[in-house]
Amino acid sequence: MTTNNPGAQAAALAHAGPGRDAGQPRFTAALARRIAAIDWRVCAALALLLAVMFPFLWLVQLSLRPADDLFGESLLFVPSLDSFRSLLQGDFLASLINSLVVSTASTGLSLLIGVPAAYALTRWRFRARRRIALWVLVTRMAPPIAFTIPFYLAYRWSGLLDTSLGLVIVYLTFNLAIVIWLMQTYFASIPQALEEAAYIDGCGVWGAFRRVTLPLTAPGLAATAVLCFVFSWNDFFYALILTRTHATTAPVAIVNFLQYEGWEWSKIAAAGTLVMLPVVIFTVLVRSYLVRGMTAGSVKD
Amino acid sequence: MAILSWEVSRKRAFSVGLAPALLVLSAITLLPTLALIVVSFTPLNLTDPAGTFHFRNPLGNYRQLWADTRFLNSVAVQLTLSLSSVALQLAAGLGMALLLNARQAVLTAVRAVFLIPMVLPPIVVALIWKIMYTPEVSPLHHMLEQAGLPVESLITNPGAALWAISFAETWQWFPFTMLMVLAALQMMPDDPLEAARIDGANRWQIFRYIVFPYIRPALVIAGLFRLIDSFKAFPLIYVLTNGGPGTVTEVTNFYGFIQAFNFSYWGYASAIAVLMLAGAFLLSWAISRWGAHHDDE
Repeated sequence: MTTNNPGAQAAALAHAGPGRDAGQPRFTAALARRIAAIDWRVCAALALLLAVMFPFLWLVQLSLRPADDLFGESLLFVPSLDSFRSLLQGDFLASLINSLVVSTASTGLSLLIGVPAAYALTRWRFRARRRIALWVLVTRMAPPIAFTIPFYLAYRWSGLLDTSLGLVIVYLTFNLAIVIWLMQTYFASIPQALEEAAYIDGCGVWGAFRRVTLPLTAPGLAATAVLCFVFSWNDFFYALILTRTHATTAPVAIVNFLQYEGWEWSKIAAAGTLVMLPVVIFTVLVRSYLVRGMTAGSVKD
Repeated sequence: MAILSWEVSRKRAFSVGLAPALLVLSAITLLPTLALIVVSFTPLNLTDPAGTFHFRNPLGNYRQLWADTRFLNSVAVQLTLSLSSVALQLAAGLGMALLLNARQAVLTAVRAVFLIPMVLPPIVVALIWKIMYTPEVSPLHHMLEQAGLPVESLITNPGAALWAISFAETWQWFPFTMLMVLAALQMMPDDPLEAARIDGANRWQIFRYIVFPYIRPALVIAGLFRLIDSFKAFPLIYVLTNGGPGTVTEVTNFYGFIQAFNFSYWGYASAIAVLMLAGAFLLSWAISRWGAHHDDE
């Protein structure tokens, strides 16, 4: 914690040096210097970190607790995967798979439609550009209930209610906005001169895009895909309303547990832990890009 | 001549790239919005769709909203929840950003861990706080009981339920403000800080007159973003209180949901959604205006 702090090293040296048995006053001075060298900022940060993450960690430990020791106070227990095992033997696995399928499909579709549009919006300065940008921003901001009511009515009549396809389409409402908004910032950072060189070599607009621009923005593309996936994976409101039994996603399954099996806390905690696991892993993997995505639209590019 | 045709073919290629997205966006955003507005002028009820889809009293829903005390209460609840939690988020996020704004490996790692609440599925956040607020399983309630200070559950207490939700919402979203402020702090030039130090300014003066003006735009934007998103808050309320006790935590979004999906008053719920959409539109417009204004500076 304090190893790269020169003050701490000096204090440690003083303590370990020849003055070790030189009597009380010298020792106290070293101790005082040592205390002074403690980085209070780091200590405060770590204490706050522990306090903030406590509720999160509690959920995780609850999922690992054996059923007979659910309300035990001691944090020393033998972790058990029983609740995960019983969870995956039930219907939960199906909803987890459905979540995966819907999120992946919606991510793929929104990239397919949104990436060329984002590129055109970056390179083509036409008059309606600003208005389209505002449209995309409002789509990102709109309260889901405004879309849910017409979608529910339309799905009722078209038979898309309680289908995975129905969810994939609804998730485009926020995913397309994310792709168009974010990918513009990545495309804007690629100099146009590179594409012009490709034109001279006989590539068309989309040929140059595919061979030059797209490979250069691959990290941004990956990050955008992760964000789309996370937003679809995290959705609760649309899935709650537009599905019943066949196309339920994992977040809705958790709520069903809460309502019908409210006493099985370790099972519920295990379900919560499973649902957040991919998101937490993605956060660790693409941290800096994630930050950019979450704050998309808030910084003018 | 050759250049002209190149320009034409370039434009054509761009239109081809843009067209599918605009078509899909129209189909999934403009069309539903239009349908929503149309439905809001009817008393549509799905128990009798044919008989209630008419325009004999187009402004009936809006007039009724004006006199609906439960709706007006939901707006007040929404404003209390949104403003309190955004204010808390700004305060906590700003404090945390100032604390973590130093080049040290430990602090960078701490910053990364603080991202977790923000990316968690909202339903898991709701679950985490359901556990914290349920006396039988909550470690906090357990500790208070051991200390001889048993507290009844906050989410079933009409005086505390809304604040309990506001607190959980703050827990999830203060990292957003923290990130925005940290980004602004890292772009801040060192010269004015040094100049102020040389002139003998104290810590508070440096913060008030140099750092704060520099990060104010980030705070405003973070606040506006969170304000808009707070109107959508649903899982926390659905899982923690279900709008109760009574209607103490029934925000406008939740009231619209109940009207449509519990009472089947689709026309009425659509009118509520139209008003919410209008609010989101105005705030987005403010953000884009403000962004443009900021650009000119």
